[in-house]
Amino acid sequence: MVSREMIPAGHPHIGKLVQHQIRVFPEHEGFLRERFSSLSDAGWLFIEEIAAKVLQVAGERLERVCEDYRWLSGVVLEEELHFRRTGRYRFATFEQADAEVYSRPELMSRYMNGLLASQLWWRNHTEMLNYFRDDFIECNAVGFDHLEIGPGHGLFLYLAAASQRCGHAEAWDISDASISNTHHALNAMHLTRQVLISKIDLFDAPDRQFGSIAFSEVLEHLEKPRDALAILHRLLRDDGRLFLNAPVNSPAPDHIYLFETPEELLEMIRNAGFLLESIRLSPCTGATLEWARRRKLTISVGVIARKA
Amino acid sequence: MENDLERITTIVRNLFDEYEGPVTPMLSARDVAQWNSLLNVQFLVLVEKEFGIQFSSRQVAQFKNIGELMAALQAKRTPQ
Repeated sequence: MVSREMIPAGHPHIGKLVQHQIRVFPEHEGFLRERFSSLSDAGWLFIEEIAAKVLQVAGERLERVCEDYRWLSGVVLEEELHFRRTGRYRFATFEQADAEVYSRPELMSRYMNGLLASQLWWRNHTEMLNYFRDDFIECNAVGFDHLEIGPGHGLFLYLAAASQRCGHAEAWDISDASISNTHHALNAMHLTRQVLISKIDLFDAPDRQFGSIAFSEVLEHLEKPRDALAILHRLLRDDGRLFLNAPVNSPAPDHIYLFETPEELLEMIRNAGFLLESIRLSPCTGATLEWARRRKLTISVGVIARKA
Repeated sequence: MENDLERITTIVRNLFDEYEGPVTPMLSARDVAQWNSLLNVQFLVLVEKEFGIQFSSRQVAQFKNIGELMAALQAKRTPQ
């Protein structure tokens, strides 16, 4: 049983997930203790909600999800080793990431399972979800029409589409496997709103506009993030809001564009013609922001922006 | 070997700046709050650069304490 020191009573979903994760990955207990060591009451409420959703999405694959998170942790350490030795991500082109990651269905399945679990275990991931829901979705105009590009595990898309303020939600992705994965996730979470997920490449985006756009953890996967930001500017209505989330110093198998500081990313967004309504910097688990900056550790950069 | 420990101590003090305890061959990640698996990689790469050597991926994951690290450094210097 996971001790109540780590997970307080009244949080059965996160408790169940932590128990499974530690059983599969006992060496990770110390990390998880650190991760949950200073959570506020509101933080516990939120993570319990997200844990309930992750349990729904994982379903009978819970053991597999936890095992794949363990696998992902090993993969990330390999990428970290390369990054610290060279100062660069291993890959620099989409073709390289496609050959080593996207075109390998078994690996992609493990990767997506691992990322699902990371939404709970990596403090910066959970904080970005929370920022998205509380500061972006719940502050959008009532009846907002929403687009997410690259919805992946589906949690951001679910939070948007399940909001009572939402009028319409859809998503675009370039991968059939990812689209299937997102559909599964939304069904598992019992989303009642119909959400259309289309196979559309951002760089071939149709001539449409939206009042709300989410672009979470996509920029670092692109060779030309500036081009993507220019298209997002076109897609956003003049009175619309953009949520953007990308990590700095975050080696991963398919990360190809390295942002070295939050300021580098923020300047790129401003230069694309956006006004930054709010910014949230979330360092990786166990790090203060100051220490993360000094040691060039991973920092998730969340931005809510409007057209300038 | 003594010089090795001094050089490793400098790396430990710079990287794990909240740790004020002694740096001995018995020191391990358990003793240092900031020393998690990601920082372990960063620590070992700093040691690689300081000593001009490279560990295998398996070694990076396996050192239990500073003493084992120092033994590996010594082994890399000893002609096979």
